[in-house]
Amino acid sequence: MVLSIFKVLWNNLKQGPSTDPFPFGETFTPARLRGKVAVDPEACVGCGVCATVCAGNAIKHVERGDGSGKDFYVWHNTCTFCGLCQHYCPTDAIRLTNNWSTAHRNEDKYKMKEHEFVAYARCPQCDQAMPNMPHAMLDHIYGAPTEELEAIYKLCPECRRQKAAQQFGAQIHD
Amino acid sequence: MSNTYTIPVGPLHVALEEPMYFQVDVKGEVVQSIEMFAGHSHRGMESLALERNFFQNIVLTERVCSLCSNNHPLTYCMALENIAQIQVPERGQYLRVIADEVKRIASHMFNVGIGLHVIGFNTLFMHAMEVRETMQDLKESIWGNRMDISANTIGGAKYDLDDELEAYLRKTLEELKKPVEEFKHMYATHPQVKARTKDVGILPPEAAIEYGLGGPVARGSGIDNDVRKETPYAAYDKLKFNVVLGEGCDVRSRALVRLGEIFESISLIEQCLDQMPKGPICCDPLPDIPAGQAVARSEAPRGELIYYMRTNGTMYPERLKWRVPTYVNWEGLRVMLDKAKVADIALIVNSIDPCLSCTER
Repeated sequence: MVLSIFKVLWNNLKQGPSTDPFPFGETFTPARLRGKVAVDPEACVGCGVCATVCAGNAIKHVERGDGSGKDFYVWHNTCTFCGLCQHYCPTDAIRLTNNWSTAHRNEDKYKMKEHEFVAYARCPQCDQAMPNMPHAMLDHIYGAPTEELEAIYKLCPECRRQKAAQQFGAQIHD
Repeated sequence: MSNTYTIPVGPLHVALEEPMYFQVDVKGEVVQSIEMFAGHSHRGMESLALERNFFQNIVLTERVCSLCSNNHPLTYCMALENIAQIQVPERGQYLRVIADEVKRIASHMFNVGIGLHVIGFNTLFMHAMEVRETMQDLKESIWGNRMDISANTIGGAKYDLDDELEAYLRKTLEELKKPVEEFKHMYATHPQVKARTKDVGILPPEAAIEYGLGGPVARGSGIDNDVRKETPYAAYDKLKFNVVLGEGCDVRSRALVRLGEIFESISLIEQCLDQMPKGPICCDPLPDIPAGQAVARSEAPRGELIYYMRTNGTMYPERLKWRVPTYVNWEGLRVMLDKAKVADIALIVNSIDPCLSCTER
């Protein structure tokens, strides 16, 4: 019916513009919007799965020469906001925020990156550097970790072997 | 008036903003024959796919085309799952259907809207886009992007619905029914729309079979052919829906099939929400892909989409090849454009819902 077109037009007049008044007002930004990537260096184990699955090769892990840890780079201009890194991250260390503001001046293009330093943990016994093992990863692997595990998980592989052998030997003695 | 002229149509923006070049021989204003030239948007995607690992290719295939950007990674993942014998958890299958159908609603609404734009009825075109906008907001809220929703991954779905989003999804679909119903009524009854679309671009059912056409183009000519029905994938075997068929074999019939399918899609999503069990959404996140080859197919908004994949045991595919619906459907244009008016060419081209970025990739 021709009449119903007029109904649509009348409703449009009543409603006003359908577009958001951006940049003079707020625009629709849902909580799940896939925007700029954020990294939590405390939770990162440095496994590199995010860099492997990253579609645009926007994620780089660079080992520091002094063995103190890894530099974690995410280049926003190469990122496709696909969310694969977030999906495959075992400890939820990398996630997409709903911050979509990526407009920048051309001279700032090499600053459009997320840079975090993922420090290696130190063995409390021998001070050996090794990849950080956050509690989240422990939960992910073992469910609820036992007391024995809590005692040894911060040690380096060598000290852990000795400690585990001692614990095992003590059990045999009993 | 007996002279025959050759006129160029395209290559830029024949109907959609996509390049395709038609060399049309006309006598007066009646099309005598057409020659089609493609290849303007070739991006070398099949080669690019070989340089990326399986996970990166999920995103690459999604970027093949924005309107069926859920079906490409879905079919790609299904092909990989066939090779690696991965069972997708039941919830993941339902989530895949939901993503698929939301994209289908948006795609069909877009195509019918563009059809109206082509005939110069911009008021109704803008209204179609406004109705579609609710789907765009829905995609942005659930998946976080308006077009590339990134819903699939190897072994399942990448997103989950909580109670709040499920309620939002139900509410949005409920609110969509009335505007689409009104829109369909306007499309079907408006005299000017009818005058421009009825008996234009006739595709007899025999020709549809002969050319092997699929999707709403074939269904608009009464050919009952839907991959979701014939070889159900994801959770389609557990859901009830009708294959919408048209009788008119013309542009209008194809548009009405698309509008009818929107209601089937809404019903499919509602059934999914009712039946969906709790549980995992995705299997083992980093599966091993052995050497092998597989084919997977699905019903994209435009028709049947087929993926062929060969692997060699590494992280990279050895061959990835896809056949998209427009590749077969555009051959049907030879039939539809025969003896058509010059003024109807863009309208008829739009009625096959051409996707050249898929076809030329």
